[in-house]
This record gives sequence, structure tokens and C-alpha cells, in this order.
Amino acid sequence: MLELSGLSKHFGGVKAVDELDLTVNEGEIVGLIGPNGSGKSTTINLICGVFGETAGTVRFRGELMNGKPPHQRLRAGLARTFQNIRLFPNLTVWQNLWVAQNSPQDVSARGFLPRWFGATRRTRREIADLLDLADLGHKDDELASNLAFGEQRRLEFARAAATRPRLLLLDEPAAGMNQQEIADLSRRIHRVRDSGVTILLVEHVMELVMGVTEQIAVLNFGRKIAFGTPGEVQRDKAVQEAYLGASDPGDGSA
Amino acid sequence: MSDFWFEFVEITQTIGDGLFFGATYALIGIGFTLIFGAMGKLNMTYAAASLAGAYAGLAAFAFVDAPAPVVFLISALASGVLGFVAYLTCFRFIPINNHLAALMASIGGLFFIDEMVVHATDGSPLTFPALFDDVMFDVGPYGVRGDLLFVLAMCVAGTLALLYVLYRTRLGLATRAVSQQDVAAQLCGIDVHRTNATTFVLAGLLGGIAGAMTASAVGVLSPLITVPLTVKGLIVTVIGGLGSIPGAIAAGLLVGGFENFFLYFRGVNERDMYVLLLLFIFLVFRPQGIFGSGADRD
Repeated sequence: MLELSGLSKHFGGVKAVDELDLTVNEGEIVGLIGPNGSGKSTTINLICGVFGETAGTVRFRGELMNGKPPHQRLRAGLARTFQNIRLFPNLTVWQNLWVAQNSPQDVSARGFLPRWFGATRRTRREIADLLDLADLGHKDDELASNLAFGEQRRLEFARAAATRPRLLLLDEPAAGMNQQEIADLSRRIHRVRDSGVTILLVEHVMELVMGVTEQIAVLNFGRKIAFGTPGEVQRDKAVQEAYLGASDPGDGSA
Repeated sequence: MSDFWFEFVEITQTIGDGLFFGATYALIGIGFTLIFGAMGKLNMTYAAASLAGAYAGLAAFAFVDAPAPVVFLISALASGVLGFVAYLTCFRFIPINNHLAALMASIGGLFFIDEMVVHATDGSPLTFPALFDDVMFDVGPYGVRGDLLFVLAMCVAGTLALLYVLYRTRLGLATRAVSQQDVAAQLCGIDVHRTNATTFVLAGLLGGIAGAMTASAVGVLSPLITVPLTVKGLIVTVIGGLGSIPGAIAAGLLVGGFENFFLYFRGVNERDMYVLLLLFIFLVFRPQGIFGSGADRD
């Protein structure tokens, strides 16, 4: 479904992502982990087109994505969430989902029609489902900026799901969550996957990664150092060194 | 007593006229503020494009004797096209974070449009058709100029149409989404360039109406109006609070009223000095503008 080959991104002399090859198959939940600064977020940004790559290719469902702007990649079925939440603060919860669900038609002749024109029973039901997914059914009229932090995270997750993606990229969705919230999140991830969405999860919280993913790729200094099931990756020598910093030149903090 | 009464009527009449005329400032301010709200950048070509639109309307009047509504329509359309051109030349290809480059490019655009007008008209002022020259309504001791009433009505209609588009249509929802979080908007599938271009065209349409309004209220169209109108528009935008549409409306009326107040007491030569003083007072004591937290772009 998603195929990265030789993908590289250099910022000046820094090789944030270096010759990365990664394949994600349809229906999988794949984790992307690594110490801080290992290039995980950059990889997500390359996949969804926020950054342009220095070299290499991104193929999605067989189609070359290089050079395509984010909104076109989204229409091809690539959606994401952000590490730092990026909701539309002055739109309501319902409108946040509506924009995500309907954006491809927004700027056209139909754009001048009243807003709820075309809000068919089907789209309304879908949004109701998404509100249920995010557990925000009672807050649909609330402005996004008035939500609590955890609620904003859930809304962002639902908003990404609202774009009807084929592949959902989650950028550290569990940051700052407690045990209960992590359990909820992992249930939510499974629910979305079961509706036919492939998931690529970038995460620091190992509890979530190990519990939810089927395959894990480990990055360090922009390079892939391991790939396998959670069990295999945990036993991998190179991974243990990367995390414990045993043989890292100049980076003992991770 | 009757002297005092006469003077009171005179003053309030002047301020009232100023409020009516301030509606055009409000429209210009809305144009600046709309684009600032969408992109966080100032489109300095805006007032020049508005007046260029009015010139196009005037040309239609001069060559084919078009009736007033058509003159306004053509003004609006021409200014809308110029808005699109300004977006393409000064904003579309300049990196989103480079505010200075966009500002300088659009200042260049301002003078480019101005120079084109100067060359096309040999720099001399042209008479703009007065729409309701002799119409006066009497309201108690006051007289209301028909053309100013029409100016106000058109401004209200233009503003209402804009608010409808922004708050009641899907396009408006997309525009607000882009202005609130442009990266997330792209990743929700919104084409930011098209949305921004549409914002420029909408602002341009309003500007064309404002340009034709200004010209018909003053009675002449001259390249000399461009820079003062730009400055007034920016003052209105700042006083109203950058990005705030209600603020731009209130500030437009406020500036219009103030202008005539000082026109009455201090004469036309000193008038603009006091308007700039008003800006200064706002910048010192209420830099976020009349309404507004500053960050709230809705």
C-alpha cells in the first residue's frame, strides 16, 4: 500500500532521513519508533507532502506521490494527525469534522451554496459515528478551542478519520496520556483499522506501540536499523543499543 | 440660544455625513483585514486595485454610457480580477513565511497600478458621474445626501454578502479553516492556494464597489486618491484590529466621523493630521484594536 524507497531528507548537512526503505501492507498497523531526533516526524511529513524529499520516492497504492501537494495526497487517501494538535480553533467540533469530510468539494461553484447544502443523511450519520469514535457526541456544538487537551486529541484523531483515508498516519497520538487514555486510544486505533484503514503509528509510548502494532520499523539517525514484529524488535541488539545509547557517537541521552 | 442650536445641528450634520462616508473606509478596511485574516499578510495593492476598478467603471460610462448599476458592477469585476492578479504576482509564489517579500512585492504592485492609471489618464483627474446629485432627504433639521445614503446601502449590502459567504457557505468554512490552521487545512484536503485566491477575488469585488463609491461621493477620480485611501484603509484595519471584520466596520465609521469632526473645527488641511493622531492613540493604548484579542481572526 505504502512504499518508501531510498527516501532521504537533508536539512543542510543534517541527514534527518537517510535512504529509508519501508513497505506498509494494506490492513496492517505498523509502528515507526526511534530515539528523539531519529527522523520519525520528518518521515511522516515526507509521506504526506509537508516537506519535499531530497531524494527517493514515495509510492502510495502504486502511484508516485513525489511533488504532489498535501491536499492531493489526502484525496488519494493519505491522512494524518499532528504531534502538536492542529485543530481549527474557532470552528465547532461538528464543523471540524465536516470540513475534513467534505473539503474536496469546498472551493468550487458549489462552495457558494449554503453550508449545509449536501449535508445528506449519510454524511450526518458518518459524522455522528465519528463523534462517537471520539467520544465527543455531547460536545458537537462546542468550539474546538474550548475542549480539554485530551478531547482535542480525540477530535484530531476523528478529524483525520473523517477524510475517509486508506492510510492513516498518527504522529505521537499518546503523548501526555495516562494509562486509561492509552487503553482507549488503542481501542480506537483498532476500531479504525477494522473499518478498512491501514495505520502507520509514530510513537514514543512503548506500551501503545508494543500493544497495538503488528510490524515495527526502528529508526536511528535517519536510518532504518531494524524491522520486524514487536517481539523481534525488542530482542534486536542494534535497537537496544540505539535506545540505551551504548554505541551512539555523541548521543547518550536517548 | 438659536445660534447654539444652529451650530449643534451643523456639527452633528457634519459628523453624520462623515459616518456615511466612513462606510467606504470600512469596505476598504474589510478588504485589508480579510486578506490579513486569511494569510497573515497585508495586500498593499488593495486600495490601488479598488480605484483602478473604479476607473474601469468610469471607462464603461465614458465609452458606452453605461447606467450606474453597470458602472458599479464593472468596477467590482475589474477590481476582482486585479485582486486575483495581485495574488498571483505578489503572494502565490512567495514562501508562506516570508512576510517582508510579500509586503514589498505588493507595495511595488500598488505603485505599478498607480503608474498605469497615471499613464492612461495623463495624470489628470476625471469627473466621476454623480449618482444622486440633487437628491436630499430631510430628517428633522438634518439633510441626508442621497448619494451618501446609497453609499451606505451598498456598503451594508456588500458586507452582508461577504458575511454570508464567510459564515454560511462551504467556501467560507474552507476559508476560515485555512485562516485558522493552514497546514491542517491542507491535510484535510483543502487547496490552500485556491482558497486564498478566492479570498483575494472576494476582497477585490468589495474593493471595486468601495472604489466606485469613493469616486462618486467625491465626484472625481484621480491617481492622487490612491495613497491617501491606502493609508486610510490601513488605519481602519489597525484601529479595528487586524483580521477583525466587525472591527473594520466600526473603525471605518469612526474614522469617517472623526475626519469630518476635525474638518469642521480645524479645516481640510489639518484633518488628516488628527486622523493619524487617532491611529497613534490606538497604537499606544489599544494596540489590539477595537474588538479583539488580536489572535482571534474570526
